[in-house]
Amino acid sequence: MNIYKPELVEIKEIIDETPDIKTFRLKFKDEKLQNNFSFKAGQFAEYSVFGEGECTFCIASSPTRPEFLECSFKLAGKVTKAMRKLKIGDTMGLRGPYGNSFPLEEMKGKNVVFIAGGIGLAPVRCIIWNVLDLRSEFKDITIIYGARSVSDLVYKYEIQDWQNMPGVKTVVTVDPGGETSDWKGEIGFVPSIVEKVAPKNENTIAIICGPPIMIKYTFPVMEKLGFSEDSIITTLENRMKCGLGKCGRCNIGSVYVCKDGPVFTYHQLKELPDEF
Amino acid sequence: MKSFIVTRSQINSLAAELLSKNWSIFTQSEDRKRFKQCESESEISVDGNGKPSDVSFKELFFPKSETLFYFNRDNEELTLLDPAEPGTKTVIFGAKPCDAASVPVLSKVFNWDYNDEFFNKRVENTIVISIACSYSDESCFCTSVGLSPFSEIGSDLFLIPTEKDSFILKIVSEKGEKFINEFPFMIQKEFEGTFDLENQKASFPKEKFDFASVKEWLGKNFKDEIWNEVGELCLGCAQCAYVCPTCHCFDIVDENCGVSCGRRVKNWDSCQFGLFTKHASGHNPREDQSRRYRQRVNHKFNYYKQRFDEILCTGCGRCTRGCPVSIDIAQVLEKIQCKQSAAIV
Ligand code: SF4
Ligand code: SF4
Ligand code: FES
Repeated sequence: MNIYKPELVEIKEIIDETPDIKTFRLKFKDEKLQNNFSFKAGQFAEYSVFGEGECTFCIASSPTRPEFLECSFKLAGKVTKAMRKLKIGDTMGLRGPYGNSFPLEEMKGKNVVFIAGGIGLAPVRCIIWNVLDLRSEFKDITIIYGARSVSDLVYKYEIQDWQNMPGVKTVVTVDPGGETSDWKGEIGFVPSIVEKVAPKNENTIAIICGPPIMIKYTFPVMEKLGFSEDSIITTLENRMKCGLGKCGRCNIGSVYVCKDGPVFTYHQLKELPDEF
Repeated sequence: MKSFIVTRSQINSLAAELLSKNWSIFTQSEDRKRFKQCESESEISVDGNGKPSDVSFKELFFPKSETLFYFNRDNEELTLLDPAEPGTKTVIFGAKPCDAASVPVLSKVFNWDYNDEFFNKRVENTIVISIACSYSDESCFCTSVGLSPFSEIGSDLFLIPTEKDSFILKIVSEKGEKFINEFPFMIQKEFEGTFDLENQKASFPKEKFDFASVKEWLGKNFKDEIWNEVGELCLGCAQCAYVCPTCHCFDIVDENCGVSCGRRVKNWDSCQFGLFTKHASGHNPREDQSRRYRQRVNHKFNYYKQRFDEILCTGCGRCTRGCPVSIDIAQVLEKIQCKQSAAIV
């Protein structure tokens, strides 16, 4: 088998999330593949634009909603630039799913806190919907999401749904100066909003994803709130190429982020050499 | 497994017969730069005394640039096409033990979960005939990484020169046995004596460092002055990775040939390049050369051992011989061993 050869997918819908972030809804061209494709929340895939190359993104849709496979991407380099030019009906390549996943089973029967910044909401949104679609198996749910400004918030159309759900506390914030005149959410950086919301640590698992700087300042807040290192979970966005544990690009110490990750507990991260 | 006595002229006959049957034959080039393909049996080199080629034979298993698939856009319909399988049967004559040993080491990473069939097919199709090594210079250190000039690891057949133009041919692998059985004239005269390896040991390169101590130190000391010392010298040119038989990092890129077609290729890459780990956001976890050199040493002498129970180095000394600023990896490791010894005392 040629492990480097992707399957073909078609773009079914395109959503403009922010000025520089889009979401693609994709379907395999081969119907059998579409029906048989399975993955777990937290896994990623390699997406290709033929002639430009491959790019790594998490799968942003939930395994409980198999109709489309979704990826959200921010304009950053050659491939994402080419992706922005694609239209509905265009063909892309997809390899995956790769990597480990969020510990869904372990989360059952517990409270869950989701904390995300910017496009870091993409992997978190996948597990949020997964949890919400199995709502009765989890206790209280808290979602804290922040972006630089109101126009940088992604999945705005779904945040509403979360806010309206019983037993789900959803707090949305923008960085100071990023608010609009009619903004009704919080104003402040994610770590300080987390401190303010102060989710309970008992029987709780926290999933945190966002830019490195946000993660760096949120970890100490979580520790202050009494969360153990094992109950804080994050996903790493290392540079990857093959996703198969071969190309050597994603290594941190002896760990292959593409195989052993991208999901790690805070505890596991602390054991790694300081190189991410 | 059995051993036989063969002569140089028998080896030439083997090569001639292989060529007539359309096998590809590779051997070290006369200028010792690389492994080259032979057109005639007279070109093959089975010379235990020669210097290891500047570039290892890795590219025969893991080419510098390898097509993964072709893509074609016809009337807007996109199709992907697998490249032709690397089908040519190949024999490598006169590999060094420090070349051959890299094959099983590389095989680990190319097969630990997903199987890279590009690599595997080439290994499957290739017979490695190595020759005991009587060369050594100040860059060699095979004995420090558990190998020796007589290691048979990774070889299918192994030649030990005895007297002029005469060799002991040892069958090392089952693949080698099956292969050589096809050529009855090579297995006429069984070697029934014993070869006295002990006698040879005096001429082996001396052990420069103790691997276990080096690994232990690396496991405990991520930050250290030594990386700045080497990092300041190192140019980040990655020559060391390109000549190395065990370096295996690669990039995946698309190449277009016209508007409607192209191919995706796997190209050699190296952790010594600054762009290697640079994120799209601009953040770079290994932003300077000291971190990149530290990665090279740790990957080879610490991480790979942890992960795959192999040392990612055969001690061939190529990286040292070729380094434009004379960084000697064995010297770096010797220093590390000193640090470890000092730490124990
Ligand atoms: S060959 Fe020498 S200078 Fe070039 S990257 Fe390797 S160690 Fe550095
Ligand atoms: S690191 Fe240097 S000595 Fe070791 S196998 Fe590679 S080229 Fe040879
Ligand atoms: S992305 Fe290639 S080894 Fe992890």
